[in-house]
Amino acid sequence: MEPLFSYKDLFWQLTFREIKARYKQSVLGYAWAILVPLLNLLVLSIVFSYVFKVPTGNVPYPIFLFVALVPWLFLVNSITSATGSIMANSSLITKVKLPREILPLTAISSKMVDLLLTCIVLMIFMVIYQIKFQPTLALIPLIFIIQLGLITGISFILSATNVFFRDIENILGVFLTIWMYLTPVLYPSELIPSNLRILFFLNPMTPIVDAYRNTIIYGKFPNIGELGYSFIFALSLLVLGWIYFRKRAKYFADVI
Amino acid sequence: MRNKVIIEFNNVSKKFKKGQKLYLKQALLDFFKPNVTEEFWALKNIDFKISKGESVGIIGVNGSGKSTILKLIAGVLTPTRGEVEVIGRIGPLIELGAGFHPELSGRDNIYLNGTILGLSKKELEEKFESIVDFAELSDFIDTPVKHYSSGMYMRLGFSIAIHINPEILLIDEILAVGDLGFQKKCIDKMNSFHSQGKTIIIISHSMDIVSTFCEKAILIDKGKIREVGKPEKVIAAYNKLIT
Repeated sequence: MEPLFSYKDLFWQLTFREIKARYKQSVLGYAWAILVPLLNLLVLSIVFSYVFKVPTGNVPYPIFLFVALVPWLFLVNSITSATGSIMANSSLITKVKLPREILPLTAISSKMVDLLLTCIVLMIFMVIYQIKFQPTLALIPLIFIIQLGLITGISFILSATNVFFRDIENILGVFLTIWMYLTPVLYPSELIPSNLRILFFLNPMTPIVDAYRNTIIYGKFPNIGELGYSFIFALSLLVLGWIYFRKRAKYFADVI
Repeated sequence: MRNKVIIEFNNVSKKFKKGQKLYLKQALLDFFKPNVTEEFWALKNIDFKISKGESVGIIGVNGSGKSTILKLIAGVLTPTRGEVEVIGRIGPLIELGAGFHPELSGRDNIYLNGTILGLSKKELEEKFESIVDFAELSDFIDTPVKHYSSGMYMRLGFSIAIHINPEILLIDEILAVGDLGFQKKCIDKMNSFHSQGKTIIIISHSMDIVSTFCEKAILIDKGKIREVGKPEKVIAAYNKLIT
């Protein structure tokens, strides 16, 4: 069969559809993309710097938190949206033969707009808190690609499974919250007791969050060994997730 | 050229599971119970060939497996057994509201749907006016499609589908929605497609459309082919079946 699609055009059209529809649905539109992270930041900063007093050295807690919260919220938003993406596009699944991978992928890519907006806010914060823009910032794309691989792998698995077990979407929120507490987003990884350290660093997001902090705030190189582990983890999950997705995708139209 | 087979079903069967467990609670409960999922064969051992340029009507009562056949041709479903071979650019399965996004305008949806169906942005820009004209929606093209009537939905869907210029057109019982004027326009368009040597497969409950438009008909009953051949013969068999 000759190829029916220009996948590139399709990818962009579907991404723009997501972005445009989101923008049109609510009065505040994309203001939410900034307001929600700021509200999170405000509440968490109050709790963890005034009530619990998490030690963050000479870095103010809000900026310490925000550097990790921005990529974490991107993970939460993109995985949540990708997980529901097949069901949300059920009319396409049952009518047109299209590479189904494109649905979770565009769900993730459309969330990059939110990420970009929060990154701008982050930069403003860095100026306000007088955090120097370090040369190690150049390493961020590398860390981000590892994170993106991890997100995509998880999204493949969850979006395909959600077609057959519709409550995955409901459980996901709780799962992501637990995951956040087990990742050093709200606290520095130095606070993890040394006997639990290995356990915490099995979590592929721990080195990634650490790497963001090191490169953005402290101007330090990330720990190559730990980040390398995350890279291998992400890559394996991406490949396995894709294989699993392709297998299940044959039966999407059967149950939708 | 005309006799080249472009769609071939080789002993195709399609099984669905009745009462599939779609929630974890059910899955957990059922884990301790004997397997309760029932299997259901929507199609059984289907064999047929369609040649390039043929216009084929598929008829049968509701639930007989007609739509499953169309979905297998469209490549949306995968057969459980057997093989489905299709050569050529297939149009979308024309049903109501294929992939329209309710919040977006008709204009945005034309671009979106056109891309989903394989047109480049440039091709779409060239065809845009003609799509809107055929669908008779010039006044509503910037209205979100959630405010469209079912007839407007169908007109837009049909118009986009024929403008992507497919070699195989699949139509699932949509002509029923449009008014008579638009129905006539659709049939005219289908006739002109047919005269260009394109293959058209329609599912219809309107025996008028099948007998006037189709050269060949297939009667499906309980997932099996009952009759294939000239429309008059097949319609007679259908009428016998339902009485």
